[in-house]
Amino acid sequence: MSVFKIAWRSIQHRGVGSVLTILSMALGVMMVVAVLSIYGMVQKTFRSNNSFGYNMIVGARGGGLQLTMNSVYYLSQPVENIPYEYYLAFCDQPTREKELKRSIGYQSRLSAEQTTPLDDGLVMPGGFFASLIAETITEDVFELHQDRAMGLGDAGLYRRWTHMAVPLALGDSYVDPASGEAFRCVGTKPSFFSDIVLDVDTEETFSFSQGRAFVEDSPEHGFFECVIGKTVSNRTGLKLGDRIQATHGDPNAESAHIHEQEYTIVGILNSTNTANDRAVFLNMEGFFLMEDHAKSVEDDSVLKSQIRDDSPEPVDESPNGEANLIVDPFVDETFEEAMASVEHFSAGASKKNSTDESAAGDQKWSNDNTKKEIAQSDDNPSVLPAVGRDARIPLPIEQREVTSVLVRTSKNDKAGVLSLLLPKKINEGDLETTLNWTPFRPERSQKASQAVNPVGEVTKLFTAFVGPIRNLLLLLTSMICVVSALSIIVGIYNSMNQRQGEIAVMRALGASRAKVMTIILCEAILLAVVGGFVGWIAGHGLNAALGPLIEARTGVEIGFFDFAPGSPLQWLPGGQFLPTWLGRLTISPEFLIIPALMILAVLVGIYPARSAYKTDVSKALGK
Amino acid sequence: MLKLEKIKKSYSQPDDSQVPILDIPDFSLDAGEQVVLIGPSGCGKTTMLHTIAGITNPDSGKVFVGGIELTRFSEAARDRVRADKIGYVFQTFNLLQGFSAYENVLLGMSFAKGKASPTRAKQLLEKIGLGHRLNNKPHQLSVGEQQRVAIARALANRPALLLADEPTANVDPGNQSQIIDLITESCRDENVALLMVTHSMEVANRFNRVVRLEELNLVVNQARTAAAEK
Repeated sequence: MSVFKIAWRSIQHRGVGSVLTILSMALGVMMVVAVLSIYGMVQKTFRSNNSFGYNMIVGARGGGLQLTMNSVYYLSQPVENIPYEYYLAFCDQPTREKELKRSIGYQSRLSAEQTTPLDDGLVMPGGFFASLIAETITEDVFELHQDRAMGLGDAGLYRRWTHMAVPLALGDSYVDPASGEAFRCVGTKPSFFSDIVLDVDTEETFSFSQGRAFVEDSPEHGFFECVIGKTVSNRTGLKLGDRIQATHGDPNAESAHIHEQEYTIVGILNSTNTANDRAVFLNMEGFFLMEDHAKSVEDDSVLKSQIRDDSPEPVDESPNGEANLIVDPFVDETFEEAMASVEHFSAGASKKNSTDESAAGDQKWSNDNTKKEIAQSDDNPSVLPAVGRDARIPLPIEQREVTSVLVRTSKNDKAGVLSLLLPKKINEGDLETTLNWTPFRPERSQKASQAVNPVGEVTKLFTAFVGPIRNLLLLLTSMICVVSALSIIVGIYNSMNQRQGEIAVMRALGASRAKVMTIILCEAILLAVVGGFVGWIAGHGLNAALGPLIEARTGVEIGFFDFAPGSPLQWLPGGQFLPTWLGRLTISPEFLIIPALMILAVLVGIYPARSAYKTDVSKALGK
Repeated sequence: MLKLEKIKKSYSQPDDSQVPILDIPDFSLDAGEQVVLIGPSGCGKTTMLHTIAGITNPDSGKVFVGGIELTRFSEAARDRVRADKIGYVFQTFNLLQGFSAYENVLLGMSFAKGKASPTRAKQLLEKIGLGHRLNNKPHQLSVGEQQRVAIARALANRPALLLADEPTANVDPGNQSQIIDLITESCRDENVALLMVTHSMEVANRFNRVVRLEELNLVVNQARTAAAEK
């Protein structure tokens, strides 16, 4: 019969006392495990987001941490927005050109400059071919002017240092009608799924369990496609083809309202164990067209003057008197009408019902500068689809704002210098002072921006806040363990009096002093190990029980089988004395709990064990 | 088998004075021999058994068990000898309450050299008629049954010497005879020398060799003589 079995029988024999000692130990360990694993999962989630492959977030000036929480973890209240042009500073030339041509400024300029040569009396020879040549020349001249004026031929300001940049527009939520659970909506580009890597080492990107990434302008769903994360799919039961509506703002606020536009789910992401699992990704083009998402230009005197000077845009009165946009460069209109047309971009986009009925103005900004399909009327609904889910008109970039831009600096920058220098440059106001190349948005209309390194922000958060809290919690829970360990002493020591006889009998049967001491130590170890194991299970059970709450509050997913992430043994106290190969071994701190408890049990068990060791057999047998 | 030579043992009083308890010039026991030791209370019977068992060391003198001079050994070595060569039956049985009858017997083997034999433990219990009570805890057994388990435990290691300290003192008269029979027969079967302490003359009369401790132990002898002279 092994000493462990003898010790175990003794534990069993003490029944209730042993159970209480085990429970006391289990309670302490449960708390330690819960703290370790929850903190570990939080850390892991934060860290894994950091390895997404972007090392800079550009957003409105303010708290860097809030920007990070917003953009990486979709937590906290949304920060201020920044102009869309800031995003374009990181884009390549074709992207910029495509986007800039969607601007009101560009279209206005286009109409003005295209009109001017004709008005200046360019003599056009007669005949069809002559008209064709004249038109071609005009186009060439115009394009040259435009390219120079708008910088269409230039890459973005920071393009050469940029590996990828993805804009995010936040502020909406999807609220599951059945459960009332809210999930953050993220307006973004399709490149979010292709350019952002989940693991910088393997360059692994998002993968889809079902469907595909949304496209900017789908033939089936227009701008209103969306992709949902795995958790959203699991929690809501949403599937491909389902239509969802976003709620504007904080879903708990009174001002919250449900957008009328419906998005069609075209993809469900595989799990990433990041906040993305809980997000609903909306096509940014559609996102901009939703009510309250377009920036008003009413107060933008610069833009007004720009439009006044360059290109008053025509506005047509619909039968019900609403101002509908007709951008026709060949028709001279007043400034007020032009502004009305500009405002229509936001108003029209948000007022689906009214626009449906009145055949709201609609337009198609063509990439071809010379062709603009601008028309609307009740008479031609097929040409002019209603604004809403069938809209085909992107919001002009003047009216666009994004919450942040996720940027990965050039891949060639192995030393990470750019990821340090570029934020510094932006934080010094480089974007505001340099981005005066957009004739339609001079510098004084720009908002202050900042660039933060998410890793740095999270590290700061952990160092300044989360880490100390964890340490405090660990200290408290460790104290519980120590108190529990003391209860082992009390439990065993109290039993020693009644066990003197048993020990004496064992001694009389030939057990040495060392043997009985070992039996008592084994008893302490067994109590600690059993208590530790029960506590470990209970700790993970607690995690599983609290998982939904933690997830709802923080976005961190945690379940029964989520262990505290491992760290190299050399990081542990005294780890520097380990051999190198052993020191590099990574192990979850949870797996060190039981060995630590065993050591603790031996320490606390020594006292009663010593008592057993010193038992006077003759006296004890004589009792 | 067992030999005591000039054994002296005394206990310290709180005032540091020494109280002699044993003074045995010579005592021996052959292999397989069965001897009963009688004497009044306080004459040092239990101390003598503890000294023979190596639980306590004498102040002087030598104890030989199976030819081994036990008194030369350290306490740990004496523990090993005790585990291998000496069985012990207590007056109060001293079964471990958390263990079943079977485990109590197995426990007797656990401290000896070699692996404990579950088969022998079961055989012993079956032999003493407790084959059907293997898994019963001591409190589920009768007093007689408990003492039988204690006897099986003492014999489990096939000792050369069995020390029995008033094994029938707590057993009802009806069971006394059975217990004595069981001990003596088992010792005979296993060729184990037996030294039994008892108060009961009825028990003592069943043995061929009866040793009166007051005669063997000079401390008691001298005290009695002094008392008689007064």
